[in-house]
Amino acid sequence: MSSSPLERLQRRFVRSVTFAADADLIAAVTGGGRLSAAEAIGVYRDAYPARLTEALGETYEACWRVLGDEEFFAAARDFIARAPSRSYNMSDYGEGFPEFLESRPHAEDAPFIGDLARLEWAFLRLFHTRAHEGLEPAALAAAAGSESILRLGAACVLLSLKHSVYGIWKRDRADDTPLEPTEWDGAQRLVLYKRGTNQIFARELSVPEHAALTALAQGRPLGAALDTAGLDEDGARELFAFAADARLIVAVVGG
Amino acid sequence: MKTAPGVRAGMTGVGLRSVHYPDLLGRPSTAVDWFEAISENYMDSEGRPLEVLLKIREDYPVALHGVSLSVGGVEGPRSDYLRRLRRLADRVDPFLVSDHLCFTGAHASNVHDLLPLPYTEEAIVTVARNVAIAQDALGRRLALENVSSYLSYRESVMTEWEFLIAVARRADCRILLDVNNAYVSARNHGFAAEDYIDAVPAELVAQIHLGGYSDMGTFLFDTHSRAPTPPVWELYRRAVRRLPDAPTLIEWDADIPEWAGLEAQAVQARAIRREEHELKPA
Ligand SMILES: [Fe+2]
Repeated sequence: MSSSPLERLQRRFVRSVTFAADADLIAAVTGGGRLSAAEAIGVYRDAYPARLTEALGETYEACWRVLGDEEFFAAARDFIARAPSRSYNMSDYGEGFPEFLESRPHAEDAPFIGDLARLEWAFLRLFHTRAHEGLEPAALAAAAGSESILRLGAACVLLSLKHSVYGIWKRDRADDTPLEPTEWDGAQRLVLYKRGTNQIFARELSVPEHAALTALAQGRPLGAALDTAGLDEDGARELFAFAADARLIVAVVGG
Repeated sequence: MKTAPGVRAGMTGVGLRSVHYPDLLGRPSTAVDWFEAISENYMDSEGRPLEVLLKIREDYPVALHGVSLSVGGVEGPRSDYLRRLRRLADRVDPFLVSDHLCFTGAHASNVHDLLPLPYTEEAIVTVARNVAIAQDALGRRLALENVSSYLSYRESVMTEWEFLIAVARRADCRILLDVNNAYVSARNHGFAAEDYIDAVPAELVAQIHLGGYSDMGTFLFDTHSRAPTPPVWELYRRAVRRLPDAPTLIEWDADIPEWAGLEAQAVQARAIRREEHELKPA
């Protein structure tokens, strides 16, 4: 299919911004002010990585803090060079950045960086999720039996990470004492949630607690979820009380 | 929805920015009449940003201003984008929905910038087709804003303002006249900004933008990182003489001042309009 002049021009412009200035585009334009044609195209080309770096910096603020300007900007530059933005919304940019950060050489100094980035991405998603209306504890207790299916609200995210990053994420921005390996040592399981309003809460979960909530999220009945997770009676009671207080459950089906 | 104070002729507003949420949530009395919200910051969020916008809407008229319609893009507007924008507009009930007369890249590679179009018949046809799709999906008329540019195309066959006017007429949409952008483009491309401002028919103008550029030495850059400069204020004065009713908006997107500093710009814009229309002896 032959393309129109406008199609060709737009394709050349995008290529010039995201890759390298196209000779045909340079020939087709006049620079504004005292800029040459190539310099004028350069204004748009320079703005592109700057804008996407800013978007990454907003989403992955804690990673930026940990890595420092030089390494974060270098990582952003390399990521942007290989990952075009496919969303109309720039704040959606950066899916896949956690895995990308993990694959870079600095991962030896900060082996937790991918998990920290995953936590930040999950936080952003939750930030934009509507706060659900969870069942009141009394209503939940009255309705739930061991055969019931408990529906988790939308504003609730379960995370299972290989490193303990929640403390690093929460760290005071002004605190620039170096991180110690003990701070990220060991796996960490978290639930992030909203409790009726747009405020976001987090709670660390034990291995069985995480397994039980994951089973509930998958639609397993309450009794089966608690059993497969291997929670003892006290543990099950504590988790249930937390889920009720945090208004995690929006509906009880059957049972 | 409670009915907010209505749209008034010649009202003055500012861009709603998240740094000012804490100032505004206490419902202070302000000197601004209305707010403009960046559509993309709210259309994909069911969280705090939307909550704040809907609160603001209880007290003020609101316009939605997008940056991602890519109305000049050859691929046409994305249907997911239009669906989300429609949903937001239905919730917010804005007095105006606007975007820019430009393209922003390709669907598979969005460069998130306001890239200039060549001033050609093909571009007019493309924009008119896309505006029809968008206005149909939104159930509203759009306003398109003139953008600042740093290059011009050799193939252009008309001036920037002839292009802007032709698009508005052909597409049956309105114009968001950015006085700062007209000034930046005039300086960068060597034409008289006054000719631009004088040429735009008043009946097509739905709104006016005012913002600040940065002088990079070799060209003017539309950074929205400072207050409008004196020549832009003068150009604004010239514009409001002919456009007494168009709402005015102060845009500030980088190095954003504290609330009072932004408010002061709105006060200045209002003073200029008053000088031109209320205080002048007949
Ligand atoms: Fe503008």
